[in-house]
Amino acid sequence: MPSSLVRAGFRDYQDLMRYRILHILLVATPYDRFLLEEAGELSERMLGEFRNLDVHYAPGLTGVSTGAEALEQVRRQESINLIITTPHVADMHPARLAAQVKQIRDIPVVLLAWDPSELNGPAARQGSSIERAFLWQGDARILQAIVKSVEDWRNVEHDTRSVGVQVILLIEDNVRQYSSFLPLMYDELLDHSQRVITEGLNLSQKILRMRARPKVLLCTNFEEAKRAFQTYRDDVLGIISDVEFPLKPGEQPHPEAGVRFAEEVRKHYQDIPLVLHSSKPENERLARQARARFLLKGSPHLLEDLRKLLVQDFCFGPFVFRREDQEGEVDRADDLRSLEQKLHTIPPESLFFHGRHNHFSRWLKARTEFAVAHALRPRKLEDYKGDADKLRSDLIQAITDYRFERGQTVVADFDRDHFAGLGESGSDFYRIGGGSLGGKARGLAFVRRLIAQHGLRNQFDGIRIAIPTTAVLGTDVFDRFLNTGGLRAFAIDSQDDEELWRRFLATPFPEEAERDLAAFLARVRQPLAVRSSSLLEDSLHQPFTGVYDTLMLRNNAWSVAERVHQAVRAVKRVWASTFSQHAKAYLQATAFRLEEEKMAVMLQGIVGAVHGPRFYPDLSGVARSHNFYPTSPMKAEDGIVAVALGLGRAIVEGGACLRFCPRYPKHVPQLSSVAEALKSTQRDFWALRLDGASDSDGDGDGDLSMREESFGLDAAEADGTLAAVGSTYSRENDAIYDSLARPGPRLITFAPMLKHGDFPLPEILRTLMDVGHQGLGAPVEIEFAVNLQARPREFGFLQVRPLALAREMEVIEIGEVEPGAALCWSQRVLGNGRIEGIQDLVVVDFQRFERSRSREAAAEIGRLNNQLLASGTPYVLIGVGRWGSRDPWLGIPVTWDQVAGAKVIVEAGLRDLKVTPSQGSHFFQNLTSFNVGYFTINPEDGQCLLDWDWLDAQPAETARDHVRHLRLPEPVLVKMNGRKGEGVILKRDMEEPKR
Amino acid sequence: MSEYVASLMTEVKAKNPAEPEFHQAVQEVAESLALVFDRHPEYRHNKILERILEPERVLMFRVPWQDDQGQIHVNRGFRIEMNSAIGPYKGGLRFHPSVNLGILKFLAFEQVFKNSLTTLPMGGGKGGSDFDPKGKSDNEVMRFCQSFMSELFRHIGPNTDVPAGDIGVGGREIGFLFGQYKRLRNEFTGVLTGKGLNWGGSLIRPEATGYGCVYFAQEMLGTRGQTLEGKTCLVSGSGNVAQYTVEKLLELGAKPVTVSDSNGYVYDEAGIDREKLAFLMDLKNVRRGRIKEYADKYGTAVYTPADPKLDHCPLWSYKADCAFPSATQNEINGKDAANLLANGVYVVAEGANMPSTIDAINQFVDARILYGPGKAANAGGVATSGLEMAQNSMRFGWPREEVDSRLHRIMKDIHSACVTTADRFGTPGNYVNGANIAGFLKVADAMMDQGLV
Repeated sequence: MPSSLVRAGFRDYQDLMRYRILHILLVATPYDRFLLEEAGELSERMLGEFRNLDVHYAPGLTGVSTGAEALEQVRRQESINLIITTPHVADMHPARLAAQVKQIRDIPVVLLAWDPSELNGPAARQGSSIERAFLWQGDARILQAIVKSVEDWRNVEHDTRSVGVQVILLIEDNVRQYSSFLPLMYDELLDHSQRVITEGLNLSQKILRMRARPKVLLCTNFEEAKRAFQTYRDDVLGIISDVEFPLKPGEQPHPEAGVRFAEEVRKHYQDIPLVLHSSKPENERLARQARARFLLKGSPHLLEDLRKLLVQDFCFGPFVFRREDQEGEVDRADDLRSLEQKLHTIPPESLFFHGRHNHFSRWLKARTEFAVAHALRPRKLEDYKGDADKLRSDLIQAITDYRFERGQTVVADFDRDHFAGLGESGSDFYRIGGGSLGGKARGLAFVRRLIAQHGLRNQFDGIRIAIPTTAVLGTDVFDRFLNTGGLRAFAIDSQDDEELWRRFLATPFPEEAERDLAAFLARVRQPLAVRSSSLLEDSLHQPFTGVYDTLMLRNNAWSVAERVHQAVRAVKRVWASTFSQHAKAYLQATAFRLEEEKMAVMLQGIVGAVHGPRFYPDLSGVARSHNFYPTSPMKAEDGIVAVALGLGRAIVEGGACLRFCPRYPKHVPQLSSVAEALKSTQRDFWALRLDGASDSDGDGDGDLSMREESFGLDAAEADGTLAAVGSTYSRENDAIYDSLARPGPRLITFAPMLKHGDFPLPEILRTLMDVGHQGLGAPVEIEFAVNLQARPREFGFLQVRPLALAREMEVIEIGEVEPGAALCWSQRVLGNGRIEGIQDLVVVDFQRFERSRSREAAAEIGRLNNQLLASGTPYVLIGVGRWGSRDPWLGIPVTWDQVAGAKVIVEAGLRDLKVTPSQGSHFFQNLTSFNVGYFTINPEDGQCLLDWDWLDAQPAETARDHVRHLRLPEPVLVKMNGRKGEGVILKRDMEEPKR
Repeated sequence: MSEYVASLMTEVKAKNPAEPEFHQAVQEVAESLALVFDRHPEYRHNKILERILEPERVLMFRVPWQDDQGQIHVNRGFRIEMNSAIGPYKGGLRFHPSVNLGILKFLAFEQVFKNSLTTLPMGGGKGGSDFDPKGKSDNEVMRFCQSFMSELFRHIGPNTDVPAGDIGVGGREIGFLFGQYKRLRNEFTGVLTGKGLNWGGSLIRPEATGYGCVYFAQEMLGTRGQTLEGKTCLVSGSGNVAQYTVEKLLELGAKPVTVSDSNGYVYDEAGIDREKLAFLMDLKNVRRGRIKEYADKYGTAVYTPADPKLDHCPLWSYKADCAFPSATQNEINGKDAANLLANGVYVVAEGANMPSTIDAINQFVDARILYGPGKAANAGGVATSGLEMAQNSMRFGWPREEVDSRLHRIMKDIHSACVTTADRFGTPGNYVNGANIAGFLKVADAMMDQGLV
């Protein structure tokens, strides 16, 4: 139950206040505008007010002097959706203006009068197209009130219905009165809302919650008020009403209309707070009769009185526990947490009293905690038949569940005084220090929310789906560190990674953050991954994956101080990597400046278990919801998963692992033949070595990143982890048998999971890919790790990011290609679009390439790449074998920064080796998100060609041992059709330039 | 003679259009038998060649099956029952999209002579389907195998036709096929070879080719009164054939000094001893690592990465007595052959299939060294199939030593058939001629004996 409530809640917060005033057109004579500006520098004022209240949103404001200009603006500017006009428009009466505006578009037109006398004209009369009239009284807040009031009326129906946003009815017919009352009410409302919406929420959550603040519906007559009440009666938080107002529009005020309204309400709703206000003190008696509070309009403390009422009756203050019919206070709770605590000790009669009057539910609603409020409301007191303990435990349970689930969706700021360890109140994600979380951590926070929203945590029996415990050092800590002793300037200019690291090591770590780290590490004793989470990382267009350092900490020293020392070093290491030569080269290929980059750092528990001297998960993997190379019966959208025993390094670096489609887990192409299975499956696995030298050995460059070690499968078998993923090869029978029951060489086939369902890996991944796809609105890439040793078994959902595909693909027709015109043609192409004007080719020749010297080739390519990048020259990179391969025998082991300037990359088969596109994770991600075209050429497939002879005949600009740089006299033309996966590179651009 | 071949080929092409592989095979066999037809016109008169190239029976059948999604697929199944003059049809089943009638006829035709050369009573055949096992689930493969056997079962039997595995048909598929046959016939017989060890398979299968190749080399040396004792041997490859070649060489006192994989080779001047072989086997079979690790482990060895730029393979350029190409096709070209001869190698026994180019073979033959062509030297693999049949017929399994000694016996027989035949046709020491002709003669004579059938 709770998870579904949270789910409903969060989705709908996003959806609230759909109708927004985007742009206001102020129609006033220059003089009136001058007055307004004089009174408060209008647009500044608007912005300022709104910024205070609602961080991300402020309407634009345009001023015009005449009706004609106004109509012109309405026609021209689509975004205008509110018109405020003064009565003194030279060429047009406001009512006529309003009527004409309505003929163009349905935009509310509001009259802002200077003087009450102006309100008596035809504009304010019934039947006019003017929506509402207000009176300017020298306070610019009236503009904000106008906007909010217009919005509230338009959003109320949707917002009450979807989550039960609360409604306050303000019944008042006097323009002057409501023009002063409304701004005051909004001020109070927003102020209160901001104060109560604090618990366990971060800033952006609060902003979202602000959308759920109670709405104020201004009604000017009995009929209107009654209609509004009947429509929203279940969500009415309270009613503030004048005593005298007309019964019907256009009529004279009725002297006791407010009292009559109050009595009507009371007939059915005993517990809705009512406030009657009047300029006549004698009306207080009438109010009391109607069991309503009374406010005297002329009172010097009207404002203060109203505030008190809101706090007391409209539930904006603490929850005050009382006994039935007694004014005396039993106890009070300031927030959800304390409500939960106090519920344990409150006497039964108080519980029943508040339960009967729906006080809990209303109090929660006023705090925008609709989910739990809804959960509580249907509990009828009769159901409990006087069983106070049952009522008490149900209430507590509902609130506990809700807080736990909400903890799962919110990034809490780390509180070292109250950090009790993991899982307390469901939170396992903390921020240390202010500032941004950075891209990667933001992604993780998003994952966490997905898990909560979709109730994934316990969806699979005996398996817990969760993110690993994580603390994030916000970018403020990074800034504070860099601001020490001119470190920032030094780092930006530094050309020497060694020196950079020495300086970072010598610079003191921000003290506050270190204390927080110590508190965190005092409780968290599992091995940690210290990962970069920079502002630019993992954003859709510039992924930066694999640019910055990730370190593994064993985190197993006895003393906390020692572990903090190690963690601090690791964090500094990641910070330093922001300024490494490698990162600088990478950044140069992007539109970003190094100064803009900021680095948050995640300290994340590694999913896994201790096995003797090793620590590793039973499996790690990457799932992509789009498969670029599907084979029958799979379809591209069925996705593809790469899994490996142990840490995920094998997968990220494109090493041996098992690839399968979660829709067809029993169809594993890699295992089709015994020979292929023997060749392509994992031979070893990565684990974190727990023994050996300390993490901080030496003072200089103790290599923190070298903690991962690879082990043979015999180690896994001894650890007992092989059984869940292993099969056995029989040489005598030339067959592979699932399980380890027979003697023989072991293979990692994941057969126990994929074929026999020992662990529902394909099902979980299908679910997560769906959820991720929905959440991001695009195909996704998901990182995960599984620990089968824990109980319940632990599925670590580590990351989700959009798998960058050109989503709005322009359809490029490849058309007929004349023989000899194409340099390269393939039906295995990634990318979409036309690329013109490239004259430079960097070529690793088929004839020249030696597999034994692929590392040298990579270095030469890197140097050429840097030259071309420096001169801003795009190029096509052509070579043999897998690009970015980890295994230098299979191709050229370039890193991304060594090829970052290439616009198109061509991967051709080796003479003696068929190239299977590697899909090495980081390389691939970069490729797709930098929109680099990628051609795969395998001559034996028949559906491609690469004209090596032509390339060979071109003179080289420079020729190195393995690599030639060609500058063609005419640019090539690249055309790629991403839907068909087809592409061609024409030797010269023979097409007319299309505009 | 070439006139005879030419007119024969015209007829073959007209009768068997669109089977280029088959045409090629017939032409090669016909040409290699020129000597026979010159000396023995009776084969021509009895139209032995014309008869032998026409399959006794070709079975082509529908194989419908349902995939895991319930979709229906139809593949084509084949069995070419080529020749049963000297025993039941025997030959592999191949599941691969490239399978068609022409290819299977070509393979079946060659199988007749290969089987005959083993001196065992095995006729020739081949079969399979254009089914692609790639990306199929176990269940789909099983359903396909069952459907395939549901037709094939009525045509085969332990005394009629005994298929084995080939590309795409390994232990798993043989199991599925055997199970269905047994179910349909309600009898447990040795109708397939390549069975699991625990249900009728034979021992020594992985070892057979390598062991056999070394036995053959030993026999060849015997013709010159020599043994393998103390001989320095170059071995290429590091798979089953190479590993067991090295093992048997060690057993017979020779000194293997090289092994290789697709990335490069190691040269171990001190020789690969038993301990190093054990390391190599663990490296290649269990850890599935690179051969380079051998050199990392043993200081006496030098690792040389493969260099595609070179026009030769430096593995064949060391001083040695014997060479055992056990890796892949065409691994010894003309230049390698020259290097081998220049370095004193005088025994070449082919463990791999067609490892030497035509140029290389001609150099070996011209130099009159002891050159054992693959079809004779690596017949050990085929022979073990025959031994599996024999054991099944007896309902009795031989221990390793027994299978090994029978293998040894067979290799001796093959050798002596080659030597005798080469002598008989005036090319003493020419194992190429010997092997080609011996395989043919046994079948041809049986056909003559059995009349026009």
